[in-house]
Amino acid sequence: MDLAVTILVILVQIGLVMGIVLLNVAYLTYFERKILADMQDRLGPMEVGFHGLLQPIADGLKLFFKEDIVPTGANKIIFTAAPILVLIPALIGFAVVPFGRDSLTLFGIEFRPFITDLNIGVLYILAFASLGAYGILLGGWASNSKYALLGGLRSAAQVISYELPLGLALVGPILLSESLSLVKMTTAQGGGIWAWYIWVQPVAFVIYVICAIAETNRLPFDLPEAESELVAGFFTEYSGMRFSFFFLAEYANMILVSCVATVAFLGGWQPPLPFLDFIPPLLWFLIKVYAFLFFYIWLRATVPRLRFDQLMAFGWKIMLPLALANLLITSTVVYFVRHA
Amino acid sequence: MPESGRRVATQTGLIVQWSKWVNTIFFVEILKGLGLTFRHMFVRPITEEYPKKKRDLPDGYRGVIVHLRYDDGSEKCVGCALCEAACPSHCITVVSGEDPVLPQRRIARQYILDVTKCVFCGFCVQACPVDALASSKEYEMATTNKRSLIMDKEAMLTLGDKYFPQRSPRPAPYLEARLAFFQSMKARDFPMAGKETAA
Repeated sequence: MDLAVTILVILVQIGLVMGIVLLNVAYLTYFERKILADMQDRLGPMEVGFHGLLQPIADGLKLFFKEDIVPTGANKIIFTAAPILVLIPALIGFAVVPFGRDSLTLFGIEFRPFITDLNIGVLYILAFASLGAYGILLGGWASNSKYALLGGLRSAAQVISYELPLGLALVGPILLSESLSLVKMTTAQGGGIWAWYIWVQPVAFVIYVICAIAETNRLPFDLPEAESELVAGFFTEYSGMRFSFFFLAEYANMILVSCVATVAFLGGWQPPLPFLDFIPPLLWFLIKVYAFLFFYIWLRATVPRLRFDQLMAFGWKIMLPLALANLLITSTVVYFVRHA
Repeated sequence: MPESGRRVATQTGLIVQWSKWVNTIFFVEILKGLGLTFRHMFVRPITEEYPKKKRDLPDGYRGVIVHLRYDDGSEKCVGCALCEAACPSHCITVVSGEDPVLPQRRIARQYILDVTKCVFCGFCVQACPVDALASSKEYEMATTNKRSLIMDKEAMLTLGDKYFPQRSPRPAPYLEARLAFFQSMKARDFPMAGKETAA
């Protein structure tokens, strides 16, 4: 009986987090289209609902009812599995993200503001984030199309090159908080805006932001799905629900890396000043995550796509040495501060 | 002299290189671009929500050609076919004839405007001696029935009523106007030429 209740609570929590994340993903597309339109002096979606507010729902319904096409010569099993392989790693990372401070107690059952507090949280997220690249590569390969294959190959190369500096940039906050758990990382940054790691680790923050954009295949690093070169990149041959899985995964990944950036560098749910405590921590978390997402979209509206050799040179010749140097300096300073 | 000049040159070169480095390290160019896009968030959108909100057309707008009426409801057209002669795309056909009610008065027995051929140049409007034609502001002519774009005089008159509700007064018949003119001249002692020299 007790076990059943525990399992039920966990399932409800997982369902709640998944639902909220997917809702945010849907409305992130609306947010993006509106901001892009504003920055290009357009109006964006205006027709469905008040100022196009129901547009994501209409889009979702449309994608749901579209014809599901499997191209001839495609490897059917891998072609079907690839979108799922992309979506699951994108959603699974939210399990360790702490959204707030206080646990909610309903009917004598405690609901915590995170699904689980893994003591290897950062590692877990990074591991699953790189698993997502397999889905992209397999999807591109199984489509039996040269454009999809090229997109998948580019994605694999890009993810490998930018994963290293991304992980190394996160080592800074890990060293400072002495923990891989995102919950402990957040609590270590308590006490106001000056305690956030962005001030101690500015280089790591910049490296993280750039690499996170490259990880999620967003502009200016959207070479795997470059419309003007590769039709649509790795999901050229996909349609209907399978395409929407890729789409959901891309936006879920965006939210996930924003959540990690918020936790690792911007203090998670901590308010910037102690007297701002009256605003609920969950709201602070959302504000920070959405500020980060806004920056993503802002950058998309500003910067054109890089050439592939530029992308590679930037990743290996600048990002990686910089991240290593940052790690060396940080670990040295931390060692001497802790032992002096 | 040349040595110091060279030193100055290397110094400016160093400064240029230094500022280049600073620009690269702090992403100055990208930040400038970000500033530009951010400013454009507050620029008013130039999008027209067309079917919902329609633009105000300028006064000289040349839409579909229409026929006009006088204030007593009779049509202005006298069937002279000058518009047909002026039309560069041959989209106007006029069949001239006598008015069955008033013999000797000429009207257009048939007037056909092929809007599918019309180039909206407005030459017919300028050619008309009695100002019977006008360019309306009708421009939403998309249709699934091409025949509805071949307009006869009745269709053009109804469109004219829609776009030009203010009608000009019918001028007095020619003979009466001429007579009235002579009468007025007589009243002013016409011809005056001999009298003026006498005086």
